[in-house]
Amino acid sequence: MSNPLAYVFSCIFVLLTHGTMLFNVFYNGKYDDVNAVFVLMAAVIGLDAVYFVILPFFKQQTYAVDFMLILILNMGLIFQSCFGGVEFRLKHFVTVIAALVACRVGYFACRDHRWIEDKRKLIWICIGILMGIILLFTGSRSMWISLGESTSIQPSEFIKPLLVLACATSVTEQQKKHKLLCFNVVYENLILFGIVACVCLFQWWCRDLGSIPTFGAIYVSGFLLRICYPKGKYSKKPIIIAVASLAVLAVIGIIVAPPYVRDRLFVDVWNDKNGNGYQQAQALIGIADGGWFGKGPGHGFLHNVFAYSSDIVFATISEEWGLLFSVMSVFVLLMIVAIPLVNPPRSYYHGSMCAGIAAAFSVQMALNIFGSCNMIPFTGVTLPFISMGGTSMAVSGLMAGMLVAAQSPVFKAPKKKKEQKKPLPAQPQQMQPIPPQQPQPLPPRQDAPSQPPVSYTLTDRRK
Amino acid sequence: MDTAKLIMCAVSAAALDICVLVLMITAYREKSSGRKRWRKTSADMELADRDRGYPLECDEILIGRHENADIRIHDMSVSRYHAILNVADGKWTITDIGSKSGVYVNGVHVEQKRLRENDVITVGERRLIFRKRRDRH
Repeated sequence: MSNPLAYVFSCIFVLLTHGTMLFNVFYNGKYDDVNAVFVLMAAVIGLDAVYFVILPFFKQQTYAVDFMLILILNMGLIFQSCFGGVEFRLKHFVTVIAALVACRVGYFACRDHRWIEDKRKLIWICIGILMGIILLFTGSRSMWISLGESTSIQPSEFIKPLLVLACATSVTEQQKKHKLLCFNVVYENLILFGIVACVCLFQWWCRDLGSIPTFGAIYVSGFLLRICYPKGKYSKKPIIIAVASLAVLAVIGIIVAPPYVRDRLFVDVWNDKNGNGYQQAQALIGIADGGWFGKGPGHGFLHNVFAYSSDIVFATISEEWGLLFSVMSVFVLLMIVAIPLVNPPRSYYHGSMCAGIAAAFSVQMALNIFGSCNMIPFTGVTLPFISMGGTSMAVSGLMAGMLVAAQSPVFKAPKKKKEQKKPLPAQPQQMQPIPPQQPQPLPPRQDAPSQPPVSYTLTDRRK
Repeated sequence: MDTAKLIMCAVSAAALDICVLVLMITAYREKSSGRKRWRKTSADMELADRDRGYPLECDEILIGRHENADIRIHDMSVSRYHAILNVADGKWTITDIGSKSGVYVNGVHVEQKRLRENDVITVGERRLIFRKRRDRH
């Protein structure tokens, strides 16, 4: 820890924020039994305290992402526990802990980028296995696998972090070009395109169309960073081609979309407020009712609307806590993904990984918030770290852990390279004693370092 | 909503705003300490070309003539993507990435070599010195 004082101050301010929110729940909230508020207080403050005590043992270089993560996760727990009346939501508390554990997993897995880069083929296989699971277990019109009466998982969510890792690349990797017809191509880029196409087709097949923009955003960010390496200087040509391709794909998607999706695209929520526009109409009324400071925790009516805690959670928070709080929550989420801009990663792999995560979170946030506000069609995508949903929460935590890893990287020599390195130093050592032993003049390349050979490029240009 | 409740809401919103501000400051302060740590990780080395020093700011440094190269050498004898520098465990390694004129370290043609302080790297017709960083701003 570079600055213990800053660490303590950050802890105090996070605790203070949660404390004032909980006091607001106690003072303004709607509850039948005051014990529910005390249980919520104990859970939130206890989790904060335990996390802040455990965190220094991981000996990270930076902690800003962790503070923002615990801030937003416990804010989400408070919001979720207040919808429709204060009651401690144990299930959401468990998913919050799962997200924090997943964050640690993501941190340990990705902090050494050479190690995770070596596991590229394993990542491709895992994506294939997940697609196989979707094919076999979810069926063609579903995205969930039921594990019991109230528990189910969404396997396609796990593809997101794997796709981020598959899209991330290093400069060295992009130098491994091969001749294919008349183009110099990196085989990995072609494989990646195939993987993304398969994933999107599977999502279409499962009718989880809301996730396709997220997968698309991850791929587009990865693709652009692959063709514009190493400094990410974007030239106009690839961007124009990428945007044009996306526009063509979007138009094709609208044309071949199922009827219920087309209905949603062109629905007038006020004319059809009891049909397809019901959720959005109610969400807009809720946001307007809430105003700047909200109606008070538990005093809203949106908890009567389907998916109030997941798909229209932004509107539910706006109604009960006010627009100021919901916008600030989104700002905290944006801060999490913007941290790599404040403290840029020192490796290209981590940089491209952060870009993929930022793309995924930004698109998810945009789809959820703008969908709730009727600015775009309703998609049913969750708001990261806030919406109810175990799989989404764990995967978001994992991706936050990957951001932490990019902030506290480790640069270790890979084992394979160590083995290869052994014979390499022997070459110059053998070559160096040769010149005095041999009477004949040495080739100019070995003997005259100050006069290296004229390059072929130069010769060609002169011609 | 009565005034007291409104004030309570405003106070909790203000606490959140202040907390976000504090965390932003924390993130900014971590940036400067991160720079110091990187200097330790990278052994605080630089590549010097004539009277110019190139700081080694990431774990992969691409040397070449291409405008996207980290160390861009305006010399036709240097390939567009000539060589790459990698750091691991605080030690730098140079690797030839298929250049036409090759990479020489202290006059010896190499494909890959671990660098030591004051090694002379020759790429094309240009000589670069791998040395301790002198600009410490």
